[in-house]
Amino acid sequence: MIPLKYNLRSLSVRWVTTLLTCLAIGIVVCASVLTFGMIEGIEHALTSSGDATDLIIMRKGSNNELSSTIAPTAARDLINLDGIAKDAQGQPLASREFITVLIQPRRNAGGTANVIVRGLDKVGRELRPNFTIVEGRDLEAGVNELIVSKSISTRFENLGLDGSIEINNVNFRVVGLFEAGGSAAESEVWADLRDLTSAQRYNGAVSVVNMRVPEEADRQAIIDRVRENDQFKLSAVVESDYFEDQKSSSLAIKVIAYIIAAFLTFGAMFAAANTMYAAVSSRAREIGTLRALGFARSTILVSFMLESLVICLIGGILGCLATLPLNGLSGGTQNAATFSEITFSFRFGPKVLLQGMGLALAMGLIGGFFPAIRAIRMQITNALRQS
Amino acid sequence: MSTPSNTDPVVLVRDVYKEFRKGETVIPVLAGMDLELLPGDYLAMMGPSGSGKSTLLNLIAGLDKPTSGSVIVCGQDLGKTSQSALAKWRSRHVGFIFQMYNLIPVLTAYENVELPLTLTPLSRKQRVEQVKTALEIVGLGDRMDHYPRQLSGGQEQRVSIARAIATDPTLIVADEPTGDLDAKSGNEILELMHRLNEEFHKTIIMVTHDPSAAARAKRTLTMADGRLVSDIQNSTATGTTA
Repeated sequence: MIPLKYNLRSLSVRWVTTLLTCLAIGIVVCASVLTFGMIEGIEHALTSSGDATDLIIMRKGSNNELSSTIAPTAARDLINLDGIAKDAQGQPLASREFITVLIQPRRNAGGTANVIVRGLDKVGRELRPNFTIVEGRDLEAGVNELIVSKSISTRFENLGLDGSIEINNVNFRVVGLFEAGGSAAESEVWADLRDLTSAQRYNGAVSVVNMRVPEEADRQAIIDRVRENDQFKLSAVVESDYFEDQKSSSLAIKVIAYIIAAFLTFGAMFAAANTMYAAVSSRAREIGTLRALGFARSTILVSFMLESLVICLIGGILGCLATLPLNGLSGGTQNAATFSEITFSFRFGPKVLLQGMGLALAMGLIGGFFPAIRAIRMQITNALRQS
Repeated sequence: MSTPSNTDPVVLVRDVYKEFRKGETVIPVLAGMDLELLPGDYLAMMGPSGSGKSTLLNLIAGLDKPTSGSVIVCGQDLGKTSQSALAKWRSRHVGFIFQMYNLIPVLTAYENVELPLTLTPLSRKQRVEQVKTALEIVGLGDRMDHYPRQLSGGQEQRVSIARAIATDPTLIVADEPTGDLDAKSGNEILELMHRLNEEFHKTIIMVTHDPSAAARAKRTLTMADGRLVSDIQNSTATGTTA
């Protein structure tokens, strides 16, 4: 085995080239980790939204809340079904909800995007994970007030605290900002159910009913009853399954992200290979000497591969470190299932960082392989003659 | 592999031809070369450029293979040995001294001398002893931590000699060892090589263009056009210049 210090010191001698290559690899790893962190953030937003004990009742055939409608009478019947958990006041933990989409201008002249506005019963808050008012106060029913997720408030004009928007020519004022454990609710604006439906001239309309049913047998009974009841013409899905399906909306982003990462990695491999080709050609005599002394071809191959790996792993570590200050930073993109803005927080957990380091490893191995092959294919006698 | 006895030749070259190809052109370099070296021999090879002396040295050192004929060194037929086996063989039997020293610039004198020892089964402690001994022999015991750039040409060549003897090889091959040195340093190197031959009984083959350097060997072989022109015993070979 050729001592690793030989490679490390050779790298430090060519420190400018080494540094530039490390930076190039680092930038690629950083960009890839950012992309993976975004996908992880979107998936987390959707995953954390789903509770396995909650049911969403929608119109039969609807695959998302926006395209669902439930008759007001049916909605009233649904919230009184047996098996639904009760809150402290003995009221069923079931919320009738009306969902609509508004086009709103983004901040900083960032164009417009669809924002989900949800009208819901008061009890609906308890069905979201860690719902908390973080600024202002909760809305009061009957006076056209809104509460807005904190991340949406920072991304859209007029949706900050004390801002106001018009829904169908009815003015709604923002009185509070909320958080909900990074769930999909953090991509929404909430109003009182009746205020919103009356502003939309859909008095009493309901899109979905959300309910908590702790017992599995009760959940199955409700699912069966809803499905078999011809009068309802509805279907019930477990909330976690619903959001699992919504994850398919991130699939396109995921595919594009992986393709971009693959292209970037491929490009960075050339940077690594270029550096290593230069190293091999400037050290031809050293390679010849090592082989003359009796170091096997395989040993020299491993040595140069290790050198390439060291460059790429340093680049990878730099790239990963560069993303850490952005951990938790929120961003937004369009949910392909609802055509509305979904906010997420970048998440650079161990899985994402390992993916980034995996890319660096691939760059090092593939980028180092061909120069290393060139090194071992040199005729010893020719290599010894190199200046 | 058999171990040669004191009377078995260390090097046995029989009817060796070596050709190089450059596209369609075949360039003959060695044409029916024969040579025999006994243990303790000190051979200088001379001849004009292109006479084939370096090619012959490379064949004997196991760095290249003949086109035809046999090269048997330390009992091993090198023409019939695989590249990986040749690498192992070189590490055990051959010490190299190059004209340009060929030290690894990022390693210290100590680390350069230790390098071939990492291919042996010696323990770290044994390696330390071997390296120190080799550097003491060449008179550089106090320069162990110096990098090649911190040494003079003569000192670099002495480190190279220490590296060549560190594994205690049977054969030392030197390709113009004084070619890049001033007269004083060159003389010191030749003295050292004479000492290796006389005191440590190393078999040495040296390629040189310098007749006074060749005169320090026990035997001088002259080549021209890939053939042996003369093979003379130097009765006056000494370690110092007259």
